[in-house]
Amino acid sequence: MREKLEEIRRRALAELADYASTDRIEEVRVRVLGRQGELTAVMRGMREVPPEQRPEIGRLVNEIKVQVEARIEVLAAAAARAALEHALTQERVDVTLPGVRSSCGRFHPLTLAGERILDILVAMGFEIVDTPDIEDDFHNFAALNFPPGHPARDMQDTFFVDAGLLLRTHTSNGQIRVLERRRPPLAVVCPGNCFRRDELTVRSSPMFSQMDVFMVDEIGRVTMAHLKGVLIEFLRAFFGPDTRVRFRASFFPFTEPSAEVDIGCLLCGGAGCRVCKQTGWTEILGSGMIHPNVLRAVGHDPESYQGFAFGLGVERMAMLKLGVDDLRLFFENDHRFLNQFPATDEGVL
Amino acid sequence: MRLPLRWLREFLEIAASPTEIADRLTMAGLEVEAIENHAPAFAGVVVARVLTVERHPNADRLSLCEVDAGPIGRFRVVCGAPNVRAGMVSAYAQVGARLKAAGHGAVEQAGGFAPQLEAAVIRGVRSEGMLCSERELGLSAEHAGILDLSNGSEPGTDLAEYLQLADTVLDVTVMPNRGDCMSIFGLARELAALFGVRVRTLSRRRAAKARDGVGHLSIAVDIRDPDLCPRYAALAMERVRIGPSPLWLQRRLELCGMRAVNNVVDATNYVMLELGQPLHAFDLRRLAGPKIVVRRAGNDREMVTLDGIARTLVADDLLICDAERPVALAGVMGGQNSEVGETTDAVLLESAYFDPVAIARTSRRLGLRSEASARFERGIDRAVQVTALWRVAELIRKYAGGRLCGQVTDVDAKPAEPRTITLDVGRMEGLLGVRVPLPEVRRRLRAIGAQVASAPGNRLYVTVPSFRGDLSEMADLAEEVARLKGLAEVPATLPPGAGRVAVEREWQRSFRCASRDLMLGCGLTEVRTISLTAAAENERFGGLDRAAPVRLQNPLSAELGEMRRSLLGGLLQALRFNLNREASAFHAFEIGRVYGLVGDAALEAERLAALTYGDYVLGRIGAPPVRADFFTLKGIVERYFEGLGLDAAVRFEPLTANEVPYLHPGKAARIVLDGRSAGVIGELHPAEARRLELAYACALCEVDLSVLMTYESSPRRAIEPPPRFPSVGRDLALVVDRGLPADQVVRAVVEAGPAWLERVELFDVYEGEPMAVGKKSVGLACRYRARDRTLTDAEVNRAHEELIARVTTRLGAELRA
Repeated sequence: MREKLEEIRRRALAELADYASTDRIEEVRVRVLGRQGELTAVMRGMREVPPEQRPEIGRLVNEIKVQVEARIEVLAAAAARAALEHALTQERVDVTLPGVRSSCGRFHPLTLAGERILDILVAMGFEIVDTPDIEDDFHNFAALNFPPGHPARDMQDTFFVDAGLLLRTHTSNGQIRVLERRRPPLAVVCPGNCFRRDELTVRSSPMFSQMDVFMVDEIGRVTMAHLKGVLIEFLRAFFGPDTRVRFRASFFPFTEPSAEVDIGCLLCGGAGCRVCKQTGWTEILGSGMIHPNVLRAVGHDPESYQGFAFGLGVERMAMLKLGVDDLRLFFENDHRFLNQFPATDEGVL
Repeated sequence: MRLPLRWLREFLEIAASPTEIADRLTMAGLEVEAIENHAPAFAGVVVARVLTVERHPNADRLSLCEVDAGPIGRFRVVCGAPNVRAGMVSAYAQVGARLKAAGHGAVEQAGGFAPQLEAAVIRGVRSEGMLCSERELGLSAEHAGILDLSNGSEPGTDLAEYLQLADTVLDVTVMPNRGDCMSIFGLARELAALFGVRVRTLSRRRAAKARDGVGHLSIAVDIRDPDLCPRYAALAMERVRIGPSPLWLQRRLELCGMRAVNNVVDATNYVMLELGQPLHAFDLRRLAGPKIVVRRAGNDREMVTLDGIARTLVADDLLICDAERPVALAGVMGGQNSEVGETTDAVLLESAYFDPVAIARTSRRLGLRSEASARFERGIDRAVQVTALWRVAELIRKYAGGRLCGQVTDVDAKPAEPRTITLDVGRMEGLLGVRVPLPEVRRRLRAIGAQVASAPGNRLYVTVPSFRGDLSEMADLAEEVARLKGLAEVPATLPPGAGRVAVEREWQRSFRCASRDLMLGCGLTEVRTISLTAAAENERFGGLDRAAPVRLQNPLSAELGEMRRSLLGGLLQALRFNLNREASAFHAFEIGRVYGLVGDAALEAERLAALTYGDYVLGRIGAPPVRADFFTLKGIVERYFEGLGLDAAVRFEPLTANEVPYLHPGKAARIVLDGRSAGVIGELHPAEARRLELAYACALCEVDLSVLMTYESSPRRAIEPPPRFPSVGRDLALVVDRGLPADQVVRAVVEAGPAWLERVELFDVYEGEPMAVGKKSVGLACRYRARDRTLTDAEVNRAHEELIARVTTRLGAELRA
């Protein structure tokens, strides 16, 4: 019996050589260790072994079982490793192929510009107030010191609608809407769309977006010097810290004194070019001290309160910053234009 | 206002260059849009008198002339012009002259003057130079004869100098409040104040010369409506000979953008440009006597203006009438019945002040904008009427041979009171934020023509000049003080209270930002469309409940005739625009307002609309892409509401037939938020898709943001820790009627379960074998979890059995085997 066992061991270990295939390993496992296997058969035939030899034979069977199992484990791990390595060589993908993707959305450039402007103004302490696009004459003209028939009304060609209403020609109606409801001190920005009877061309549009910004407080607390300070701070925040700003006397019915604000031409840096008509300056927005008649129209005493106001065009700010010179691009929504803007609103404008 | 600097310098001695002048004007609020340099198209041409004219010995059509060029000498020239005659004064191009315009023997050269004119032998006779036509001098296309200068110019004078051809013109934008700058003199006055020099006024002596030969005709002026015409002055002249004005005068009119007509009309225009006072000349013989009545139109309904057009009048239009009928539309245009023409030999000259608003109203209504109305509208000098009359009389006498018939009739029906403003200097400094020393304030205000006197306290009495109707209170004077030095004087300081104003939480803005971020995250690009649209589009896409569309009364075109009621039309237009430009897919959204009218009240509501079309998700290479349809957009909308934390409140309910006619009736839903309608979603109706020539389905939605924004104040969902006990899953498949919406099945299951049924998820819908026709199987995964213990299989099984029993009864459903 002992010889028989030694023969089983010898044969099994010989067959479980390093190069044994997975199939051969399995075959040996079943033949030697299986339920119908050789070692099981020896254990079953133990009755025929003389009792004094039985412990030794049992020990030997166990020894061979452990030995063969260990050998199989080592070989199986090696085979699995080899199989994986083989499989990995077969599973290479072309990493340069495109990924699974959906389209990438973009912010509209007017949103990028508008939100940037609001970020700056809100940081400066201005509060955002929404006001209506469809207005009456009082809020768009009369209260802003445009008396009926005043030639200044010609500066803007107005769309009139039913019910005696009109489409606001500027966001300055916001001043009236806010001032008639609330008492100073106030620091407000009113963003929104405005409408004028202009065709959509490179330089004009029947609809455009503006922001009216104003600050009102007791006499002497908000002066023209503050208007200049706020505007310079604001324009440098938007266009860059080196932006040059100048103030030119001008006329608006709702401010007195009034000032047109220019920034140093962004294209030529002030040397003079075609864009700035050789002046080195670009007109950017209108401003001034709120006209006493405006305060009177909404029931505030100009002997007690004063304030400044400025109005800016979002398209103009965006065009100058982006170097875009065709207004129509903002309203055509051509994907080849829009896709050039990033899908984040941080640090773009 | 166009400002020729030679003309300006008649009133102002100023050394500054054109650029310096332009800069000062611009900074002071009179923006110079352009600086134009005008140069003559010739050199070496002088004024010369033709002494003799003889027939050319060898040519019938040519003459041999002797010309006298004053100190330059006498010359013999050959001339082919038919109008040449002895005694005539014309333009003589000397030997050595250069003519830019094409002409006899002068070869045109690109970009420069022709070569010097040489003495030539013409048909055997030597010609020392030539006499020139207007065309040869580049003055006009006139070439019928040589230039006739027989209007008082000295032989030997340089022609370019005489005609003032070399000049610089500034194009000045005059704001509506500065009517006083609508004249050469007015701008001279302004520049004098800016540069601190004196302005020269028209000499009284010069104007007075026109008073020679005063006759005895007296003109009656009757102002019936002094509120619209406070002042009217008139003067008559006779023995007028209508003809062309001298060339230099014509030239000045042209430089200012006006056309020369004849010596009388030109004289009135010249004085208007010079002094800012519009004037009108009537043919005296065509008036019913020397009487002028100024009145409202009242019952007069029509008059024919001198352009030959019959104008419809309204009762408040101001008319100038003679004794019988209207002869002019005051301040806007003269009447045809009294127009000055070639046969006119006597004129009545009008110089008046009309109410700016009345003139603006009439000229705007009639669409008649003239140089005169532009000045009246802005408000002219209240005191210059008589001066202007004398000035025009002088010009007519000199260039049209007129003689005065009598004195000026000047009716000042409502004399203007000089306006005095009390200026609180401290208050002004408080407005400007800068200290200006009192003497400097006085100096600047005097520079603009105001009279300044001391007043008690830190105050001044400032009497504003007659030509500054725009100055009426402290803020106006503050602007003058700030403007004259340039606003650079005002320092830039930040308000002391910046940050003092409480910044309210900008909910609406952050809501819009969140909406944009979520849409971008779903791959949609933001667009902006014009909110004007066509009536047909508004009809197609419907609008706010019960609101009528807002119609424009003066639209640019029918295509932009109404305010949009929906954002969808604009999005579809953007889709079509892009498909026409190389796009095959388009995924976009817009946030904007829509409009409506209920009675007399305008409604504005903010909406978000989205559109997806074409490939939405591109799969891996070899796998098919996901193309946009109802469910891709629904996924976007679900993600949007989930992002806003409103996913539990939103439902999609089927639409009743044709409820939203532009959507596919079977693939459209109403978006309902806590029982309130918040918008619609669906695929575009196939008929609409065909109209737009779309190749695939196009999915659209429109959401009313005003409904969503009401959720701002609702309490945020409480944040809970992750569950500590495991969940147990049980699936079930229910066979229900095919038409039963899946979300009703899900809701029924949720309601049928215990409180600890955590979630029910639909994972499958199946129709066909072995189910009966008209039935479908809905596969659902139920997840049970208790907060406080691990559930046992037994209690889950019992609860699930009870759930099945309840839900099958409730829905009339069967459990699928």
